Formats: sequence, C-alpha cells, structure tokens
Amino acid sequence: MGSRTALKRLYELESRRLYGIALRIVGRPEIAADVLQDAFLQVWQNAKNFDPERGAGGAWLTGIVRFRALDAVRKFGREIPSEDPTLGDEVFEPDVIERLDAEAEARALTRCLRRLDDRQRRCVVLAFVDGFSHAEIAERLAAPLGSVKSWVRRGLLALRSCLEA
Amino acid sequence: MIPEDRDALNVLAGEYVLGLLDPAEAREIEAARASNAALRSAIYFWQQRLHPLAALAPPAEPPSDLWSGIAARLDSVPQTGAARWWNRTSPWRWATAGMAALAVALLLYIALSPPSPSYIAMLYAPQEKQASWIATVGHDGLTIRTVAAINPPPGRAFELWAIAPGATPPQALGVIPPDGVLRLGALPSDVRPGTRLAITVEPPGGSPTERATGPVVFVGDVTKM
Repeated sequence: MGSRTALKRLYELESRRLYGIALRIVGRPEIAADVLQDAFLQVWQNAKNFDPERGAGGAWLTGIVRFRALDAVRKFGREIPSEDPTLGDEVFEPDVIERLDAEAEARALTRCLRRLDDRQRRCVVLAFVDGFSHAEIAERLAAPLGSVKSWVRRGLLALRSCLEA
Repeated sequence: MIPEDRDALNVLAGEYVLGLLDPAEAREIEAARASNAALRSAIYFWQQRLHPLAALAPPAEPPSDLWSGIAARLDSVPQTGAARWWNRTSPWRWATAGMAALAVALLLYIALSPPSPSYIAMLYAPQEKQASWIATVGHDGLTIRTVAAINPPPGRAFELWAIAPGATPPQALGVIPPDGVLRLGALPSDVRPGTRLAITVEPPGGSPTERATGPVVFVGDVTKM
C-alpha cells in the first residue's frame, strides 16, 4: 500500500466523523465539504505537528478539521446557529453521556465537566463543539463579553486541575 | 508573548485549542510551539483531553465525489516535514485508545512516512483483539514496535522469529531491546507475505539454541500493504 492508498483508507475510516464535525461548525454542506478536502490535503502535505508519542491520530485530525472549519466561519460567516436554548448543555443528555462514556478519557472528561459551573461548562462545549467565538457565546448566553472570557479561563483552570487529579 | 506562568500558559493553550484566540494570537502560538516544549505539551494536553467532546457532532455522509477531488489535488501538493518522528525510538503510546484509534494512527503512519513500507504485520497476544506490536517491512529493512507498552517477564527478553510458509524451521530475527523497538537494517529474505512473525520469551541474550525455548506470546502474519 502506498501513502496514497493509506490516505484513502484513512479517509474511508474517518471522513464521516470529520465531516460531521465540520458541518456542525460551519452549518453548510458545501463549505463543510471544502473544509474536509482542505483538511485532508493539509494532512497529506504537512505532518510536522503530528507527534504519535503525544497523542492519538484521531485527536490530531479533529484539530485540523476544527481549525479549518473555524477559518471558514471567519471567512464566510455561518448559518445562524440553532436557537435551541439548551445548546451547549448536551453533555448531560443521557444518550450523549452514554456515547461519551465508552472510553476512560471520555469518562474523565464527563466527570470533570460536571464539576464546572453551568456557564463555564457551556462556554467550553460551545467553543469546542460548535466553534463559537467569545462574542457568539456571549450572545448565546446573554452575558457580557468580559464575563464569558473569565468563565472560559476559570473553566479551563478547573478542568485542568480536575483532569490531572 | 507566551506566558511562563503555568496557569496562564495552560489557559492560553486551552483557548487556542478551543479556537477562541483571534487569528493574530493563534499565529503567535503556532510560531512559538516549535521552540517551546511547555506550550507544546499544554496544547497536546487539551487536544487529547477535550477530544471526546468531538463525538457530540453527529457523523454525516460527505458528498460522494469528495475523495476524488482530494485525490486529484494530491499531486500538486508537496509532502513536507513528515519524517521528523519516524525514527524515534520510544514505543508508541496510542494503543490504549482502542482499535479504531490504532487504525487511524497506523494509517497516518503509513501515509506520512516516506518511504512507505511494502509489508506490514500486526502481532497479537492469543485471544486479544488489539494488536500489541506492529512490524513494517520496506526496502530499508524491518522495524517492529510495541504499541501497547509491554515488557517481558523480569529477567527475560522478547525475541522475534520469522516462520516462512512451508515446513521451514523458525528463523531468529533478533532480541527486542527493552525500549520495545527492534530495527533490522538488512531485509530478512524469509520475510514476505505469508510469513508468520512470532515473539517468544527467552533468556536475556535470546535463545541459547537455534530454536525458541520459551512460550510464543505474540503472533501475526506479514501481509502486503
């Protein structure tokens, strides 16, 4: 198998997951498709930040797709995100907990997210999963920008110390 | 300015991974990461630990012609910077993430590491579904690495054997060093598709005879890539 075949197999294995991540952030299928295409070309082109000793390939791929998607949102804007007021709270929906619960890493994260206060937790989830900026989170939570920035910072510190414990 | 204070660095790396930094700040992080090990380590921490959240985005079917679009552009994109980690000696640490993650890592390894290996073998312990060792065979020889941080019993060593198809006796390939990586520069002639690789437990210097003396603990077949 040449490198190209390996990349194709990687695509077959990971494209649905990664396309879902991109689509969730950019909201538009044609832009999500461009994001995924650019992400795979980036993987092909430049592997210098992938360090197998420091983390699994899946997380690295997710990072590339998320950043590409965020760039696309900056460039093209995004679909108005759902008005669902519980957006960012889904870590507590039973089927989601079940999905996340499968692996030790996910269990630790769920446990530690539960310990954050609601606003801190929603900041982290809205940023990571939905690709929201500080300003978009502030709008969503109807809170001042400064408060959102501080919830993010405190949330990250609390999360770090819980995950390391 | 990348902070030295640990908390401030962790927060900055977390904001970077969340995608909350503005483009100028993000570029500053990317410029600094190559030379700043603490920053790198903080970024990896968040990438890894927040990654389960990515499962909240439901998978979706990309357009069916997307791969052909990627394939058509591969030739115009030069591959750079791929080999930096290729020759490291420490065992991989990704095996704990499960079979799917291992497959992703393996494919990345193959896609990104020129020259591509010609053959590969995944070695399993009996009854185990997850590979414990990955051997790659190319024109530069054979390399086998543990992907599960396995150590031999105290005072013993792992030895690698090749069993070619047919009734040939196993050929000793070498004792695997304690760091879990064995490289053989010359390509053993017996190693080809269909050859079975096996690891046995032996005295520290390897089997004192031409045959294995200890139990076979991992086996796997060589297949074409």
